[in-house]
Amino acid sequence: MSFAERMLKIDRRIIFLVIGLCTLFPLLYPVGLPIKISPEVRGVYDYIESLPEGSVFLLSLDFDPASKPELYPQSISLLRHAFRKNLRVIAMTLWVSGTGMADQVITQVAREMGKESGKDYVFLGWSPGGSAVIINMGQDLYGAFPADYNGKPTKGLPVLQGITNLRDVNYAVSLGAGNPGVEAWYVFGKDKYKFELGGGCTGVMAPGLYPLLRSGQINGLIGGLRGAAEYETLIGQKGRAIAGMDAQSATHLAIIVLVIMCNLFYFSLRKQAKQQGHSGA
Amino acid sequence: MKAQGLRQYITRAVLALAIVMLGWHGSAQAQTDVQTKKTLSPPQDVRAFDTPSDGGSSLTVIWSPAPYDSAATRYQILLSEGTTVPDLAAMKVVAEFPANQHYVRESKWPWWTRPATGEQHQYTLRNGKGGELKDGTVYSITVAAVLNDDRGIATPVQATPQPNWMNWNQVNNLLLALLFGGIVFYSISTARKREIFLRRIPGLDAVDEAIGRATELGKPILYLTGAHDMSDPSTIAAAVILGRVAKRTAAYETDLLVPHRDPITMAVCQEITKQAYLEAGKPDLYKEDSNFFITSDQFSYTAAVDGIMLRKKPAANFFMGAYFAEALLLTETGASTGAIQIAGTDSDHQLPFFVTTCDYTLIGEELYAASAYLSREPVQVGTLRGQDIGKALILGILGVGTILATLGVMLDVQWPQLFLDVFKDVK
Amino acid sequence: MIFLRRQVPLLITLITGLVFAAQYYVPHPASEQMLTSVTKWLQIIGGFALVLGVSSLFHVHAMKIRRKEAGWGYSFVLYVSMLGTIAVGLWSNGKEAIDGTMTAFGWIYNFMMVPLQGTMFAILAFFIASAAYRSFRARSREAAVLLIAAVIVMMGRVPLGEYLIPLSGDLSQWILNVLNASVRRAILIGVSLGTVALSIKIIFGMERSYLGGGKE
Repeated sequence: MSFAERMLKIDRRIIFLVIGLCTLFPLLYPVGLPIKISPEVRGVYDYIESLPEGSVFLLSLDFDPASKPELYPQSISLLRHAFRKNLRVIAMTLWVSGTGMADQVITQVAREMGKESGKDYVFLGWSPGGSAVIINMGQDLYGAFPADYNGKPTKGLPVLQGITNLRDVNYAVSLGAGNPGVEAWYVFGKDKYKFELGGGCTGVMAPGLYPLLRSGQINGLIGGLRGAAEYETLIGQKGRAIAGMDAQSATHLAIIVLVIMCNLFYFSLRKQAKQQGHSGA
Repeated sequence: MKAQGLRQYITRAVLALAIVMLGWHGSAQAQTDVQTKKTLSPPQDVRAFDTPSDGGSSLTVIWSPAPYDSAATRYQILLSEGTTVPDLAAMKVVAEFPANQHYVRESKWPWWTRPATGEQHQYTLRNGKGGELKDGTVYSITVAAVLNDDRGIATPVQATPQPNWMNWNQVNNLLLALLFGGIVFYSISTARKREIFLRRIPGLDAVDEAIGRATELGKPILYLTGAHDMSDPSTIAAAVILGRVAKRTAAYETDLLVPHRDPITMAVCQEITKQAYLEAGKPDLYKEDSNFFITSDQFSYTAAVDGIMLRKKPAANFFMGAYFAEALLLTETGASTGAIQIAGTDSDHQLPFFVTTCDYTLIGEELYAASAYLSREPVQVGTLRGQDIGKALILGILGVGTILATLGVMLDVQWPQLFLDVFKDVK
Repeated sequence: MIFLRRQVPLLITLITGLVFAAQYYVPHPASEQMLTSVTKWLQIIGGFALVLGVSSLFHVHAMKIRRKEAGWGYSFVLYVSMLGTIAVGLWSNGKEAIDGTMTAFGWIYNFMMVPLQGTMFAILAFFIASAAYRSFRARSREAAVLLIAAVIVMMGRVPLGEYLIPLSGDLSQWILNVLNASVRRAILIGVSLGTVALSIKIIFGMERSYLGGGKE
């Protein structure tokens, strides 16, 4: 077996090790490269920035702990921005396994920004039904969530004053790691109840949501850790996402180097085979 | 058109009557106010009506453009409950905007539901934004033009919001759906009469090869139906293909493993598998627990299926239906066990992973075509032909639409809009 | 029996299929109300269906334990952890924290579920690298184009890439916004037509395999 052949059949655990090291070192020794803001992330930021004080901002944290590394920093940045703008924040989740995490993030950011539950924000928690919950909220918010996550009746909460259904929401952002997520919020929410919608998703899913972005079905998209880092840069509060960008840079570069190497070995093998073919003939 | 003309005529007659009523029998005080304060001429031809094709609680007001329409001048929409307005000044300002905005041409109405010509002004009042509008209640509504301290208020008109039973804006959508349905039915009837050519789908040709290989090796076949439930067409397609695959596994007497993420899908697939074994003449080989539920949680399910792959080392893995981030975790583990892998998904975001790690991938609607290819039934094949005709139609419309839209911009003409509106998604 | 297993479900499918297709064109609150009611029914049915799923799970693993199949110990672990979590969840009233204090259920959530799920998702990065190394080869011209596009997008999506090749950021934006979006739209059009065609067949009873495969 030639060197090239051996390299092409390399034990994948070696590749895993390379990726592991490329993630670990930049986290231990960060470089802090500048982050360029993309128009899709700016779309979400600018819209929140344009909302007058007291506007209703709905944040649906549609992800589970698996997507925490990418979507948790996005939630923190969005909540910080919304609270700083003194928007009325309605948070919820369509993923049952994300309920505890969603509660943690909103409680943490609200405490940090000095906001009060029921007055400045409400966490509605989770309600069964997936996409159907959006339809129910479009009809009657209080029917879909009669009580908030802490068991307080939603009717009469100062933060929900004047809000009856999704039509009264000024801006909604779904941070989705799958289904139900951004697409469900468009199809069953924005399309029917006419509110402006933005999205956030994992890096893997981002290219799939570009058609929605280009057609104006969502007005902005925060894609993966990169998107979160851009948002942190926009609001001027460095967090986990910016810290993770060096690691992501290194792993991307490692994958590129691996792909180039595998192609070099592949072409050298092909050349060898051709030469052997010629000599054989 | 005749009906619309008649409607406009009646509306104008009612308007005129309302103006006369208000002018002569209304509040003298209000009239005096308007006359003394205004130096700006009030907006002309104001008419208000229930917003058509909506769920109610909304009114639309339309008025003619004025010579003073500019960013400096502003229009105010005034509203009050009831048929009479004792005091124009007491009417609530529910909206205010620059006078060079809110034209009918900027609205989303297609040409067949447009209540006025494009150069007219329009404003749609909705419940919740600026005030509450109750269905069945009569409201008086008017428009005021404001420039600095000058204010010209038009005579109020009355309208009643009410819900509608048909969204006429979407009638194009309905007609296109009916047209496509017709094409599908026609294609099915054609397929029943004569044979229709089906191009090869390598992924499906490989189904037999995969099952054969599993039989030779004495290993099971793993079949996944995806992340969605039975309400998703991709899951239905996956379930349909499962029927065909199960029939072959029954014939070859190969073990079939179908782990599920949704209990209802599991129940349906149990029925499908049972029927397939029955049709293959091997009902005794059917095992109730070949279809089993794991969990609806994405990564717990992935871990469990990866475990099955590593322990049971299936000879062939089928990934049909909708997938998310778990796709690569499943297929890469499958590839490491050396199984033949066939994927079919309409989850376009996961296609790159499937293409990279599977031996064969059915892309997009090929998943739906699979059952036709495997069964060769006229209904299935005819549907495929119908889809192809539909696609050709869409391609044609895209081409013509692009040319017309470009012409419209280049020549600054409106007529291409007549065509483009027909294919516009209006809500 | 055949009437209950075939005709009745087909009739229900036909009626509900047509009614809900029409519902899309009816903006009246009554139609919206009907949709809301049906989605609630779906939620209730979904709840009962879970019983079906859990009983299947218990049955499969009980069989494994009884037959002492290879890896039956894992089935035992499944039983213990599932019943344990249910008990702890009920005890904690389904709450991860009460008045800022973490409950036992919260402990399971934070220190077991979160890291386990995070680990599973994190494996993706390693698998992407190994899959790319194994399969991303310029075997043909088309594959070479894909390879180049992938490298540009990977460079353009991270600060280091943009730092090394400043143009990569704009190029990757263009690839994602124009090429990627248009190709995905084309796939979406095909998928949507397939979806509509399948729905029509199901509504009119031409596709019945989902009821159990066979023709009566």
